[in-house]
Amino acid sequence: MAVIEQDLDATFAALADPTRRAILARLAEGEATVNELAEPFDLALQTVSKHIKVLEHCGLISRGRHAQFRPCRLEPQALDRAVEWIERWRQIWTDRFDQLDRHLRDIRPDGTDRQPDGTDGRPDINDRPTNDNEGHTS
Amino acid sequence: MSETTSETGELTFTRIFNAPREVVFRCMIEPEHLTHFWGPTGVSTPIENIKIDPRPGGVFETVMVNDADGAEYASRGVFVEVVEPERLVWKEASIDMTTTSTFVDLGDGRTEVHIVQSNVPEHFSSAESQAGFLSSLDRFEAHLATL
Repeated sequence: MAVIEQDLDATFAALADPTRRAILARLAEGEATVNELAEPFDLALQTVSKHIKVLEHCGLISRGRHAQFRPCRLEPQALDRAVEWIERWRQIWTDRFDQLDRHLRDIRPDGTDRQPDGTDGRPDINDRPTNDNEGHTS
Repeated sequence: MSETTSETGELTFTRIFNAPREVVFRCMIEPEHLTHFWGPTGVSTPIENIKIDPRPGGVFETVMVNDADGAEYASRGVFVEVVEPERLVWKEASIDMTTTSTFVDLGDGRTEVHIVQSNVPEHFSSAESQAGFLSSLDRFEAHLATL
């Protein structure tokens, strides 16, 4: 787990730079050499090379071994892990908010004072309002 | 795509609840309420698994239990700031993450809750705002999907 978090640190750091994201977007269209990647940017080749090293280091891209120009290739699974991490937290808070919303309706069914809480871990289904299929408040 | 910002990067989650601020705030600090919503879908947080002492330096510890296989997920936080009924800040040292909850009274009996997770992971928080980051990722993913 600690190893994964460390990998994520490197991935997030790499993604935090707009030039590096632009490079990734370009590579999503297909392999490219450093020269080709440098073209759209007003940057020295050396600077672009540095960005590419960062991306390579965290596994977001790989580079060909054989050819003289060593084309860069996107490795999307490294990005998947970063997106997964964010999505995990988004899901946790979405679930908590949904359940808190239901809980608030359970404890204040008439919109006035709260009632004594149940002793079990889950609200009794029979205590819930009947309009269960209404949308969320936001 | 070209702008960079020194703004702190973080994950933000927002929801409006149809209940007064005092009630929503109490739900976030009292085990008898937390037990009803803390575990995400498929995960329970039994009331005896919640230790909470809402004052600066006080603990906020939970052990969530997977309904399917009984696997336990422990989380140990310490409160940094408690301003009733406006603001809660706790820090989980093991994952170096700070969670700030802000409760906004909308003046019509509803309450807006903002959850902000920062220092997550370390480099990300000092890098760029989540909005810019996520929209970039979204565009990137959308682009990948077209290949």
